[in-house]
Amino acid sequence: MVDENKLREKAKEVIARDDVRRLIGWKRGTYGFESAPIVLTDASEVDQLIFDPTCVQNPASFVSLEEKLPVPRGQEPDTRKVAVLVKGCDSRAIVQQLVEKAYDRDKIVVLGVPCTGVVDRRKAQKMFGVTSAPVEIKEEGDKYVLTIDGETKEAPKKELVADKCLRCRFPNPLVYDELVWDEVAKWADDDFADVDEFEKMSPEEKWKFWDEQFSKCIRCYSCRNVCPMCYCVECVVQKLKPQWTRRSTDISENSVYHIQRAWHLSGRCIECGECERVCPVDIPITKLNRKMTRDVMAMFEYEPGVDVEAEPLLACYNPQDPEEYIM
Amino acid sequence: MSEEFEPNIVAFLCNWCSYAGADLAGTSRMRYLPNIKIIRVMCSGRVNPLFMVNALQQGADGVLISGCHPGDCHYLEGNFYARRRFMLMRKLLEHVGVDPGRVNMSWVSASEGAKFKEVIDETVAKAKEAGPMEQFRRRQINW
Repeated sequence: MVDENKLREKAKEVIARDDVRRLIGWKRGTYGFESAPIVLTDASEVDQLIFDPTCVQNPASFVSLEEKLPVPRGQEPDTRKVAVLVKGCDSRAIVQQLVEKAYDRDKIVVLGVPCTGVVDRRKAQKMFGVTSAPVEIKEEGDKYVLTIDGETKEAPKKELVADKCLRCRFPNPLVYDELVWDEVAKWADDDFADVDEFEKMSPEEKWKFWDEQFSKCIRCYSCRNVCPMCYCVECVVQKLKPQWTRRSTDISENSVYHIQRAWHLSGRCIECGECERVCPVDIPITKLNRKMTRDVMAMFEYEPGVDVEAEPLLACYNPQDPEEYIM
Repeated sequence: MSEEFEPNIVAFLCNWCSYAGADLAGTSRMRYLPNIKIIRVMCSGRVNPLFMVNALQQGADGVLISGCHPGDCHYLEGNFYARRRFMLMRKLLEHVGVDPGRVNMSWVSASEGAKFKEVIDETVAKAKEAGPMEQFRRRQINW
């Protein structure tokens, strides 16, 4: 199971390879219940790498975000590979990016990290309060052992683990070059009960809910920046010609921003839950994305981020697609 | 003074079938409701679902996207892509609380002037039932 020495050894081995430029992973955060992402370029830095239930971030977000600066005349572009550590959910982002041909498979080295769940910062803060020192968390059976400011505390795993892990169907990476340790057993299934529950509300109740949520939005675009699937060079919400949504934060523009984001992620969202995690005003963004995921599965029998050979959902069609609403 | 609510409908019609169908309805002197504002596009596959959201934002109470029948597309497959897209967008708007009757799609060929009239009547009836679009209409127009 989780063995950081094994992880560091493997990372050292990979970063020392001639054809690997950098490695993306996790290091201990500066405070609180979350770790921080780290980009390694040298084998001497591997001691900073960690893996424990604080490693919530999706490192797949960083793979396609690198700025491609023009290369000075006479120099060759650096075509070496990027290595990335991925949990099960993160690996789906890699799969979907490969499906969309964001980069070639031979341009990355994927190190799979089978995972047994990560901690939700909000739940932990509710239980233990906000801490200024980084927290270390170890998993022991069905409970977590937390080291907060030098004190050791315990909590049942069920109460701290993130919602996405409670319904995790892919704890093991779906695409990898090497697994760092053995695969883990799947412990949950997803029946989209929360979506069904929401669907029961009347249109007025639904709008009342979203009106309240969208009104909070301050349009910091954190959800977009952190999303592994939002890697467009120029995002439609910041385009000025034509300007699709204005930059003001009123309910009309906020709604359109969230609708267009959910729309752009339909058939692409891999449910890593990063958007909701980073939201500074706690908008339940995954409620929109999960609805689209469920409908795409029901109507088109398509699930994003599972099959590397698949075609992107909206770039293909089936003559037998449902059309009951068409006059 | 009480006036009956008259919805604004924005219709995106494809150049090859539905626009010709609308033309036929006109030249055959059929009367269809005047609530509709037609925008001609080259194919229903040209219509980005954001056009529709933007129309709802800027004062439309309903949107109609109309194209050739499946298999008749001038560009062979544009309407198949459109069908997928609008199916998803409709589901999404429904989830947010917008009446799904505001988003309509139809297949009207160049010879179906009578069908075009029916489609318009139905679209207007649905938008009337849904009432004025108030959810995310722009309140401050001149920002």
